[in-house]
Amino acid sequence: MAEATGSDHRSPIRVLVTKIGLDGHDRGSLVVAAHLRDAGMEVVYTPPWQEISAVVKLALEEDIHVIGLSCLATDHLLVPKLMDALREAGLKHVPVVVGGIVPDEDEAILLAAGVRRVFHPGASLQAITDTITGLAETAFSADDLR
Amino acid sequence: MNRPPATRIEEFIGRLRGGERFALARAITLVETGAATAVTVLNAIQSGVGNARVIGFTGAPGVGKSTLINAYIRVLRQRGQTVAVAAVDPSSPISGGAILGDRVRMGEHGGDDGVFIRSISSRGHLGGLSATTAQVVDLMDAAGWDRVVIETVGTGQSEVEIARLADVSVVVCAPGFGDDIQAIKAGILEIADVLVVNKADQAFAEQTCQQLKSMLGLRTAACDAVPVLATVATTGQDVDRLASAIDARYREHPSDHHTRETRRTRALIVHAVCREMHRRLADEHGDKLDDLCVRVSCGELNVDDAVGVLLAALDRS
Amino acid sequence: MTQKTAIEPPASSQPGYDLWRRDYERQLADPRPVTNRSGIEIKPLYIPADWDSQRYAADLGFPGQPPMTRGIYPSMYRGRIWSQRQLVGLGTPEHYNRRLRRLIDAGVTAISLIPCNSVYRGYDIDEVDPLLVGTCGTTVNTIEDMESCFDNIDIGRISTAMNDPLPFTLLALLLGVARRRGIAWRYITGTSNQSDYISHFVANHMFVRLALPGARRVLVDHIAFCTEQVPNWNPLSVVGQHMQQAGATPAQAMAFTLCTAILYVEDCLNRNLDPEQFLPRFTFFFDISISFFEEIAKFRAGRRLWQKIVRERFGVNSSRARRFKFHAQTSGVDLTRQQPLNNIARVTAQAMAGIFGGLQSLHTDAYDEVLSTPTESAAQIAVATQNILRGEAHLTDVIDPLAGSYYVETLTNQMEEHIESIIGQIDDAGGMFKAVEQGLVQRMINESSREFQRRVENAEQLVVGVNAYQVEEEQAVRRPLERPDPECIGAQVNRLSRFKAGRDQNQVGKALDRLAAAANRPDANVFAAVVDAVIDGVTHGEAVACLRRELGFGEPLIVA
Repeated sequence: MAEATGSDHRSPIRVLVTKIGLDGHDRGSLVVAAHLRDAGMEVVYTPPWQEISAVVKLALEEDIHVIGLSCLATDHLLVPKLMDALREAGLKHVPVVVGGIVPDEDEAILLAAGVRRVFHPGASLQAITDTITGLAETAFSADDLR
Repeated sequence: MNRPPATRIEEFIGRLRGGERFALARAITLVETGAATAVTVLNAIQSGVGNARVIGFTGAPGVGKSTLINAYIRVLRQRGQTVAVAAVDPSSPISGGAILGDRVRMGEHGGDDGVFIRSISSRGHLGGLSATTAQVVDLMDAAGWDRVVIETVGTGQSEVEIARLADVSVVVCAPGFGDDIQAIKAGILEIADVLVVNKADQAFAEQTCQQLKSMLGLRTAACDAVPVLATVATTGQDVDRLASAIDARYREHPSDHHTRETRRTRALIVHAVCREMHRRLADEHGDKLDDLCVRVSCGELNVDDAVGVLLAALDRS
Repeated sequence: MTQKTAIEPPASSQPGYDLWRRDYERQLADPRPVTNRSGIEIKPLYIPADWDSQRYAADLGFPGQPPMTRGIYPSMYRGRIWSQRQLVGLGTPEHYNRRLRRLIDAGVTAISLIPCNSVYRGYDIDEVDPLLVGTCGTTVNTIEDMESCFDNIDIGRISTAMNDPLPFTLLALLLGVARRRGIAWRYITGTSNQSDYISHFVANHMFVRLALPGARRVLVDHIAFCTEQVPNWNPLSVVGQHMQQAGATPAQAMAFTLCTAILYVEDCLNRNLDPEQFLPRFTFFFDISISFFEEIAKFRAGRRLWQKIVRERFGVNSSRARRFKFHAQTSGVDLTRQQPLNNIARVTAQAMAGIFGGLQSLHTDAYDEVLSTPTESAAQIAVATQNILRGEAHLTDVIDPLAGSYYVETLTNQMEEHIESIIGQIDDAGGMFKAVEQGLVQRMINESSREFQRRVENAEQLVVGVNAYQVEEEQAVRRPLERPDPECIGAQVNRLSRFKAGRDQNQVGKALDRLAAAANRPDANVFAAVVDAVIDGVTHGEAVACLRRELGFGEPLIVA
């Protein structure tokens, strides 16, 4: 669990939970967000239907450690475009995970595009939390001034 | 934590002052996490602080505050001004985690580089949330943003404190009767430079404005000047009037800038003292602290006793 | 929450009860209480003392008669079987038309039109990423598109269920086509599904949104317009499905749906519409979870409550106006990605619950819905499931066959009581509109959804293949994905730009001005203006954009 008091100068994990594309089904993203909060993370939670440019801007301005995308109705097809946009904005260091309905054939495409992990229906909240914690700890250092 | 070399920090500060977005975002992270580098950065930018106008928005959940700020930003953008927003959200007292959701909607300004939005959770900050927020505002100011908007949920004392950091404080409420607007009476009305009744297309909007005006009338003469405006944030109705009223209030109170300066400095000093106390507690009195913890938890001492013991120890060292 | 309405019987009145109780407890391996999804504690055995059969006339009565518990029609499935509505959503209007003609040739008279997600969200297809166009439904943006959808189909003789959120541009386009073909609007029949804006604010799905006050007004405009001009159209479907999908318990979903319906009736009455005219056209749409008896009790209780609400709150007494007509869909939430064929069994149980609950129309999910947009073969199994239940299983021989079961009647009473208490909470909060605006309903649903997830994670709620009976599955390539041909989508986008370029721009500009003016004049009917606008060549996306501008966008309220 992330240190919450800030007394050891470690930042709590900041994770962006968002949805791109056209679909708004957000039961999953809400449940995941609440669980991450309860694990001590700061969750920047957006309404659904974000533009890719908005997600990039958000990740940059909020200095996000890990991005979590929820995709249930084919919106995962846009994820490779998001990965390109993150790279162009100099945010290659921000790991991205995807959860939702992603057919196997498409999962391979997402992983090839740089997505770190795809969670399918039935994934446990603990597994999601552990993965995000691991990614944040290895990928992020506040004193990296780049 | 390893500190980056001094040249790296200097170069970083240059990028921050030059308006680079990543530098601002990372500088806020440094401040929020109390990183050692933060002090260096904050000291270095002090000369560049004081150009932005700071506007605070506060109001209970559900009054349409975020939508109103969104509409206000739209007006500012039309007037050619850049806007940075610090949105303060409450955090869970149990886990320390937070859902930063009640924030300015990104949909509309998501692609606009003239808008910068940062969420801040109200988790235990060194020196208090207001100190951190003051520093975040300074960073945004020094990074060259024309307007800095602070968004808080108007329910507690710390929110009032944060609102006081602003040059102009806007208090937002929704139409309601009697008890519904009681909530804003306690403490929060006093800080208002501008009062807004949002959702003015709903029933009782007119009555709510009247009621607020009479509540203001009961207060000091200084409050007489507080304008009460009705807006419909969802359609943007009368939000331009709100923007003009905010500007007018800013011009009316040129001394406010100085006041903010003082408040900010005060917050900075408090912050620095807290930091130092923290360091000394950890470095010089760690064993004592552990010992006191045991004694408090077995009921030998209460917390106040323990504080007394530690303060005395700090005095001596 | 736990409710207890049953009275523990004195041992003397029930010979053998005490003995059974002792033997039962002795054999019990797990003494933990059992609760259903709505939080009602379920006893191991129900006996005559649990349900007072003397109350038969008051609580059950006869089918087609108040209190409607046993069904809304006297003959129920003996007279008219439920309609089998499967969603049809296919890429371009031409694809849709081809599929539709095959269905009509096969004797189908009730069809559905599912638009592409971009249409749901209020956009024309040239406003969204081409990758997302036509993946989940048909691309209908213009009157020309609607013409193509119904090319060579007599729209005066079929019933069309359209997933058409406000401002109801699809119905407007259909009416436009009818006008072009000289078909009087009174012959246009069907339902505006997804007209329930409240449900779209409670659960963020994929629908276009106007800010709440504007949405509220446009729905009443729509009902008023249809009541007068398209009298055989059902302008409203009140949707509990979204709420239950979003995590509401069955009791909450029913309660929130009834509260929403109450709001809409009040709004219609405030507009001086005649309840005897609009109420018979109200329809409902629910989710059916796999909690079998709970769902049956939910539907029976909901039916009984609605007729009571209509009579007590609105003073309407005719049976016709008090009928609780509903469509139901098996819940996708219960389906699992693991061992996906198991979902066929789940859908069967869900569908049976809906049938015993007395539904009028049923959609069964394809087993592979949890993997991606359903394949044609999986959709066929879903249809076959309904055919088997209807034709082979003898489920329809008897009306309301579970009535009189001590358990089902007790549970129906308990669900009713629980639903009423939730309705009371919403009443106390100032009604559904306020409760949604302030996030109360969303908060209640989120709590339920987290509680359910907690039960799954702790294996208190068993899910085969997820937290029990897991098996190593081969990561087999399941089947090819069915995605629209990018060339077709490209051609469709070109067609849209040709349509836009070929219009009388002056006329279109004026039509949009009139639409904007109507939005700003409280005495105008916005839906009537939408109909006029699309007839003048305004596209779906343009009409929605105009109203978003004038009435505001409905920002989702995030309650986390």
